[in-house]
Amino acid sequence: MQEGSIAVNEMVTVSCGALIVIGTILTIKESDPFRKLISLGIMIGGVMPFIVDRGLLDVAIAVALIAPLSTLFTLMICGRGEP
Amino acid sequence: MNPEFILGAFLLLAGTVAAAFPRPRTYLNRLINLEISSWGLLLLMLSYNEALALLTFGGVSALTVYIFVRVLQKKEAAG
Repeated sequence: MQEGSIAVNEMVTVSCGALIVIGTILTIKESDPFRKLISLGIMIGGVMPFIVDRGLLDVAIAVALIAPLSTLFTLMICGRGEP
Repeated sequence: MNPEFILGAFLLLAGTVAAAFPRPRTYLNRLINLEISSWGLLLLMLSYNEALALLTFGGVSALTVYIFVRVLQKKEAAG
């Protein structure tokens, strides 16, 4: 009974941690810049629930607004020519 | 040793190694790999409950990426 409750409580942490690890390994392994950016988005999606889990909602709002900006800036030099 | 600390340390180490030795050695790959370690540092700050540091670092990291992008654009235009 207690074991099942603990397993369910840790499920969010384990799944978001797996999302972070998978996104990091994919970002390092891929060679195409667009694929790297998509994998980076997977990693950021794993980081975000940890900030919300701490209760820092203002930080979560600021990071959620600012994080896509850096992806947008990187896309400005992704498109042209041979990367 | 909460999970944020462990994941943040892993991200910091992996991102630093990946930014130092990128697979195709281009500036763009280095810039994208640098963001991994930036998010790792953010997770480390989160594990110590530094809300003000998180806000400041989140704002300035996007500015850093913009400056690097401008530098790369000028380098491409020059030659």
